[in-house]
Amino acid sequence: MITRIALIVLGLILGVYGAVLVWENPPVIIMRILVWALVGVVLHDAVFAPVCVALGFAARRLIPGKWWAPIAVAAFCSVVLAFLAIPVYGKPGMRPDNLTVLDRNYPLGLSISLAIVWLCLLIYFLVARLLPVRQDEMVEQESAGDVEPQPPAV
Amino acid sequence: MKTTALRGTAVTARVGLALGVAVAVCFVTGLISHFIQHPQPWFFWPTRPVWLYRVTQGLHVISGIAAIPLITVKLWSVWPKLFERPIIGGLVRQIERLSILVLVGSMLFQLSTGLLNIAQWYAFKFFFTTSHYAMAYVAAGAVLVHIGVKLPIIRRALGEPVDDTPVLVGPTRRSVLRGTWLAVALATVVTAGQTIPLLRKVSVLAPRSGLGPQGVPINRSAIAAGVLRSARSPDYRLTVTNGSTTRAFSFADLQAMPQATHRLPIACVEGWSVDAEWTGVVLADLVAAVGASRESDVRMISLEPPGPYSRTVVPARHARDAKTLIALKLNGQTLDLDHGYPCRLIAPTRPGVLQTKWLSRIEVVAR
Repeated sequence: MITRIALIVLGLILGVYGAVLVWENPPVIIMRILVWALVGVVLHDAVFAPVCVALGFAARRLIPGKWWAPIAVAAFCSVVLAFLAIPVYGKPGMRPDNLTVLDRNYPLGLSISLAIVWLCLLIYFLVARLLPVRQDEMVEQESAGDVEPQPPAV
Repeated sequence: MKTTALRGTAVTARVGLALGVAVAVCFVTGLISHFIQHPQPWFFWPTRPVWLYRVTQGLHVISGIAAIPLITVKLWSVWPKLFERPIIGGLVRQIERLSILVLVGSMLFQLSTGLLNIAQWYAFKFFFTTSHYAMAYVAAGAVLVHIGVKLPIIRRALGEPVDDTPVLVGPTRRSVLRGTWLAVALATVVTAGQTIPLLRKVSVLAPRSGLGPQGVPINRSAIAAGVLRSARSPDYRLTVTNGSTTRAFSFADLQAMPQATHRLPIACVEGWSVDAEWTGVVLADLVAAVGASRESDVRMISLEPPGPYSRTVVPARHARDAKTLIALKLNGQTLDLDHGYPCRLIAPTRPGVLQTKWLSRIEVVAR
């Protein structure tokens, strides 16, 4: 209980200090900061999350159950790569006086990394098929048709 | 397993733990970077190992980027709670919702502004440094409050096994976690090469490749700093003062003094770093030439017209260090104009922004 109270109190102190620091800016700047944070929340809650839910819903209907997890992981990795690519893809921050920043071929890099993710997925599937079936899986993959209705005759 | 059963405290608490670690690393390393640039009497920063700042700031950006997939999964795991009854509820519920709004908003603010900053994309119209610093306290505070409120649930969830019902086919909570750690590893590999030399070739999404003139990237160019004429002027002198004692050195004078060569990294606040060999005059020798004590801080003034970084103060500990150089050469070649020709400061464990370029005056600060 003491730990909880200490955490909450310390958190409130830090948070209020941060708010004070934000407040030291001119009102226009404070507004911009708050708007930026709120836009982030709205973009997630009202755009990104519902889109993911819709995609997941659709995918679950189209993709067989046992492939769902690896494909979902590959899809998530792709989303993370795409997200990290946003600030570099079109080199929006590049200035002509400095060629040492944003000095990679980002479209190529993104394509290569996405290709590697999905290639790894393919390899995962191939390996999963080629590996010997484990004892647990052997049992789990049995269905009602594998069980005989009558015990064998003596 | 239906997706609703994948969500739950088992996943939330474990991803939350990893996210908490990332936030803690970001906060501590971020404060270190801040207080090096805004010295306080109580803040101590050593001069060894020479790569110390390289590591702390590298970790800052690496954990910030690692936090991005972590926060995405964390938000996925709790998003349905946004719609939990009662939607409006009483005062306690409103406070709870407000605290989560602050938590999510401040965290997304920190991660998005940080990511944009390292790519130098200033899509936001507020000063990055001050707002990122202020919001760091808000985010850290909100995280602590969140942990305090949820502590019993966290303890219970971490003590229970991840998957409580056997799953025959399809995703399990364990697969959600594995996918999360995989995404974190991927995010790290495609970006951390801008500070970890081993990953340089594979970090395809890192804002910098680590290449540049004389083998070192630059941030502020000579053109942007407005020093093209003054740096190349034949009348250039490096003036070193201690109170009323003044000595002026031309470029040839500096070259004639005993030179030292040291291997020191240049580590930017934006999380990239490169090791290099610097040759020049030891700062302590120049300071001794005007009769100053080894306990004095030293002010560096650039040819760059007055701005936020054209004057910096080197604390005494760094000023008297044997490896702190007024560099004339980089990797064996005369310093490039963009790297600070005629001379620049290079000191161990200091951020690149404080390694002042195009030095014009060195003033011993009166004690």
